[in-house]
Amino acid sequence: MKSAHYMAGLAALTLPLLATAAGAADIKVGAIYPITGGGAVYGVPAMEGHRMAIEEVNAAGGINGSMLVSVERDSKLNPAEAAAAAKEMITKDGVNVIIGGLSSAVGLAISEVARQEKVIYIATIPKTIQLTTTKLHDYVFRTASHTDFEGDAMAQIVKQLGAKKVCQIDLDYAYGHDLRAGVLKGLKKHVPDHEIGLQVYAKLGSTDYNVLITQLLGSDCEVVTSSLWGSHFVNFAQQAKPFGFFNQKKYVTGGEIASHEIAGKMGKDYPDNVWSNTYELWYDDFVPMHKTFHEALTKRLGTNETPMWPALAWVGVKFYATAANKAGSIDSDKVAGALKGLSIETPMGKRTINPKDHQADTGQFWGPMVKKDGASYRVMNPVTYIPAKLDGM
Amino acid sequence: MDSLLEFIRVDIGNPGLAMLVGNPSFAFIQLMNSVSMGMYLFTIAAGLSLIFGVLKVINFAHGAFYMFGAYIVYSVTQQLELNFWLGVLAAGIGLAALAIVIERGLFQFLYDKEHLMQLLLTFAVVLILGDLAKVIWGTDQYSVSYPDGMDGALNLGVTYYPTYRLFLCIVGPAIAIGLWLFVAKTRWGRMTRAATQDREMLAALGINVPMIYTGVFIAGSALAGIGGALASPFNSPTPGMDATVIVDCFVIVIIGGLGSLWGSFFGALIYGLVYNFGSVIVPNWQDVFAFLLLMAVLLVRPWGLFGRPEAGGH
Repeated sequence: MKSAHYMAGLAALTLPLLATAAGAADIKVGAIYPITGGGAVYGVPAMEGHRMAIEEVNAAGGINGSMLVSVERDSKLNPAEAAAAAKEMITKDGVNVIIGGLSSAVGLAISEVARQEKVIYIATIPKTIQLTTTKLHDYVFRTASHTDFEGDAMAQIVKQLGAKKVCQIDLDYAYGHDLRAGVLKGLKKHVPDHEIGLQVYAKLGSTDYNVLITQLLGSDCEVVTSSLWGSHFVNFAQQAKPFGFFNQKKYVTGGEIASHEIAGKMGKDYPDNVWSNTYELWYDDFVPMHKTFHEALTKRLGTNETPMWPALAWVGVKFYATAANKAGSIDSDKVAGALKGLSIETPMGKRTINPKDHQADTGQFWGPMVKKDGASYRVMNPVTYIPAKLDGM
Repeated sequence: MDSLLEFIRVDIGNPGLAMLVGNPSFAFIQLMNSVSMGMYLFTIAAGLSLIFGVLKVINFAHGAFYMFGAYIVYSVTQQLELNFWLGVLAAGIGLAALAIVIERGLFQFLYDKEHLMQLLLTFAVVLILGDLAKVIWGTDQYSVSYPDGMDGALNLGVTYYPTYRLFLCIVGPAIAIGLWLFVAKTRWGRMTRAATQDREMLAALGINVPMIYTGVFIAGSALAGIGGALASPFNSPTPGMDATVIVDCFVIVIIGGLGSLWGSFFGALIYGLVYNFGSVIVPNWQDVFAFLLLMAVLLVRPWGLFGRPEAGGH
């Protein structure tokens, strides 16, 4: 009994501290990101971007005069946890929308709850193509990019590099498989005479890449495409460098390896000949709006070298607020209707949601990661924005 | 069924085997990969095995000690901007200090308890240390640079091979021989061996057995810390890195024989060979072969290749 009391007390302590006091007419906006555990690296900054957007919307008059209140939950990077949080937010807290999700599995889990409960879900980070194809429903929208866009951009870089023979190393789970397929589709289009050499998979969470590195080195590929993200990339790069891997192969990778989170942490260990992507770069004012966004974020986070994730969460909130204002209502069906075809200005340029598949045309910045005089880390230069465009869009 | 057939066909068609047969330098590199992997894992497994041999405690927290070793090197080299080798030293000393606290504060009360209690306690320590690491170092993935002069490759005649991994191939045997000399030739070593055989008798002879236990726990834990430190340039210090290594080490000590120094040494070598060559030949089964070997050992020789059967020991 005592321990049950304790647990209840603990829950009471942790849950409501997330929401500020809500008035009757306030609009509750649910946010689900990983705040603890391994995903917190990405989830904590994303949540900051979410809060920043809510404050900006409120300062500009809210939605049809009502103020937004953020209701926040921790997904712990776990689909079951995220689904439970989504359900609870809707039934107990009465949120009008859920924004967020990190990892493809979490995105699919939240989307399923949104479908059942008929509540809008805006996926700001999950990239699996399934979310807007086989698992598409009336209430799910995505402002993140997806694996077909990402793969297509990688194929365009392979073309730019003038390479024909391509090897692949990918993580053996949904994202890795989907991105590999996306790259292959893109290569067919952009480099019709390409040849696929060795294709290998690494386990999710794998720490030893020596066998795969030496096999890739033994192949005659000019380019290796990859979906190794985060610490997978750090370990792969550290193990591959002494073999001279990055002098012999050009490494074209998704997974936002060009984000400053990775480049800053790796510092001088970041290898040569890496072409990668990021949603946002603190040092690149792609559109004038980015300057004000970056200044606000710098103030908020206390660092000039801001991470990429806040911008993703920010875009999700702005899309919702704009759609609800346009619809003149927070009714899910009306907001869903307003989201279709909606365009907004973001710090990374204009974004439009495709009315057919509910997918925003979210492109990414791509380029080689090069040394910069006076900096202890690498930067992308030149920065190229590759728009999200596929055949039929 | 279709997917299984496709799976097998893909694997048999894999060029790894052809490269192994047709390209001697590729085969040589895989051999070196096996040895260097085995030798860094040996450093960690030796500590686990040593602690079990004397204290009879299966220390699940050994992986967490390894993780702390890696993080300490990160702090010393990246945050304090000091030398890598100082980081390795700090990891050894740091883990030795942590070991004193944990052994005197927790483990010493467990030696007479049943194995389940011990397992649960060491598991609790895993969770506590995991959270402690997050409090101290956060959840970012870090990168540790190779020590100066070891970020390249050496020409071995047959092929180039990364200098740092060659260094690992030397460290492992050096630690093995050092430990063996200590256990076989010194008075402390004799007492340690005696403690593995019959702790009551040793106590009756007036030897301070608890001190031997503490000493062994410190040495074993310091080895885990040094192992983590040595791994940090190629295993980025990150939350959860303890989980993978503890499984590898258990496989190694069970294959070699729990409590046997040379068992851990050859167990680690065998593990490296099976993992690397298995991964080349059947890529998707990289873990399967090591576990098949583990099962075979457990069925045929449950006390491990170099261990001694439990019964009749006393």
